[in-house]
Amino acid sequence: MSAKSWLEEFPTMGAEGLSTLRRAIDGSFRGFSREYGEAFERLFDPLRDFLLFSEHLLTQSPWPIVLGVIALIAWIASRSWKIVAGTVFTLLAIGYFGMWDDTMKTISMIFVCTIVALVLGLPIGIAMSRWGRLEKTVSPALDVMQTMPSFVYLIPVVMLLGIGRVAGMLAVVIYAIPPVIRFTNLGIRLVDKDVLEAADAFGSSMWQKMVRVQLPLALPTIMAGINQTIMLSLAMVVVAAMIGVQGLGQPVLKAIANQYFTMGMFNGLAIVGIAIIFDRVSQTYGKRLQKHLEVVHG
Amino acid sequence: MTRFPLQSLALTAVALAALSLTACGKKEEVAAAPAAAPAAAMAAAPASCGKVSVANMNWQSAEVLAHIDNIILSKGYGCEVELVPGDTMPTLTAMMEKGQPDVAPEAWINAVRQPLDAAVAAGKLHYAAQALKDGGVEGWWVPKYIIDAHPEIKTIDDALKYPKLFPAPEAKGKGGVYNCPAGWNCQLTTVNAFKAWDAAKKGFVLVDTGSAAGLDGSIAKAYERKQGWLGYYWAPTAILGKYEMVKLDAGVPHNKEAFDTCNTKVDCDNPIKNDWAKSDVFTVVTDEFKKRGGPAVDYLNARAWDNQTVNTLLSWMSNNQATGADGAKHFLQTQPELWTTWVSPEVAAKVKASL
Repeated sequence: MSAKSWLEEFPTMGAEGLSTLRRAIDGSFRGFSREYGEAFERLFDPLRDFLLFSEHLLTQSPWPIVLGVIALIAWIASRSWKIVAGTVFTLLAIGYFGMWDDTMKTISMIFVCTIVALVLGLPIGIAMSRWGRLEKTVSPALDVMQTMPSFVYLIPVVMLLGIGRVAGMLAVVIYAIPPVIRFTNLGIRLVDKDVLEAADAFGSSMWQKMVRVQLPLALPTIMAGINQTIMLSLAMVVVAAMIGVQGLGQPVLKAIANQYFTMGMFNGLAIVGIAIIFDRVSQTYGKRLQKHLEVVHG
Repeated sequence: MTRFPLQSLALTAVALAALSLTACGKKEEVAAAPAAAPAAAMAAAPASCGKVSVANMNWQSAEVLAHIDNIILSKGYGCEVELVPGDTMPTLTAMMEKGQPDVAPEAWINAVRQPLDAAVAAGKLHYAAQALKDGGVEGWWVPKYIIDAHPEIKTIDDALKYPKLFPAPEAKGKGGVYNCPAGWNCQLTTVNAFKAWDAAKKGFVLVDTGSAAGLDGSIAKAYERKQGWLGYYWAPTAILGKYEMVKLDAGVPHNKEAFDTCNTKVDCDNPIKNDWAKSDVFTVVTDEFKKRGGPAVDYLNARAWDNQTVNTLLSWMSNNQATGADGAKHFLQTQPELWTTWVSPEVAAKVKASL
């Protein structure tokens, strides 16, 4: 250390200091988890029950009913026979190749994660569009959530909540929530100033303006955000599997560990399949909203 | 807007492909190196042992051993040591097929015994020291504080009488057996043991852990809060050095035939209760290195340690968040009485001088 000048070697705080720092932070986190972990876990109990309930519903109901309901939802949202046919075909193929249960577990997980992301994300996005200062503080946080490697926060999440669905859901939501917040904020901000002036002129209150004017006009953009959120949560399936979330991620991990090429490919394609279904259905729904709005306001 | 989701999917796919390519690349590097290495060794090896590639396996105990070999071989015997990343299967396969890397310090040979024995019989590879004297131990473990509170629990059967002691995280009122990570061989043996001990009828469920990180995290979490934990683990490992755990007695001996034909298979319909075999852990060297290594090979034939030493060292490493290199240095500094028996006094003096 002393032999080299500060120009040749970057002046660091030293191995000793660094290791003390790391140990101190780790130690205090352990203490925190010992002290409050139990309470944290209780806090998430309702969510855990909801996750288990939704998974139970999808895996325990007879498959034709589940398939029918999914096809019905696809029809209601898209009103397109092509998309419904594609959905049914994809799901039949998935079932035929023996991945029905895992796929249902994954769909249930994505479904709950999306709901949680929407319940949290929409209000935050709306609030951000109203208060510029909030936008300035939340935006960097969103950047961190999207770029921080998920394995980094998996360690503390597992220490606090243990392994399993709840911890996995938290990891997925952290990664997938930024688009819905961003697009909601953006959509509301992009609403035409003239329209808002008109609304003001008619004497609408702040609440009326938001619910009757801004949100409906921003809806197509918000839908795009929701679509992104669903896609990102699907991308997290395998990472979540690493902390014990069941579903399509587990066989992928198995395939990676054993170089089972075909097994990995099949399960990967199943993830792609449900991603495309979710994507097409939510996008056509967004487009239909837009069309419908254009007719009204155009 | 519409392109975006597919793009991100495509990006993920590309990233994955790139990852697997680099992984392949590494293996090929290992495989492609041998052509050059022996020639270089002949040319640049006056009195020293020349270039040695040592497999640095991707688990902690093997990593620290590889670093100890690195220090002793380079400082003590003047070898030019290169550590190459490795894993049991790829490394041993490369050694059998291509003769590279030269040394696998800690090879768990149970999984590869057949091809390995064939390669040894053919004279391509040689066993050196039994690196872990006690061998690797695997089985179902519980935290020590549980045993202290319930000394009547000694075997797996005993533990399965108390589902309430080992609560499953997501199944109310049931006990949980934490499974080995997805895709590992031990996942199959644990699933079959779960069936054989009829644990489902006794109120237990199998808990998927997904990865080694998930499994370790579940132990750490249980231990910090003094909760019950029952599941698969193995020694020597840092976790067992850090958190004191007790291995449950299987209550039955190891039945090799049943283990090989059923307990380790996916489609084992009626698995029997079966103990895990002690894994033999050897240092493996290539024939080519054995011939040219000289005294360095004698060192590899002598170097062996017990699980207690390894657990303690690993737990020191994990408490200090030390790397394999740090751990090796710490061991050489603090336990000369052990490692100086592996080498001649002159070599020991050289190594000590370098620390």
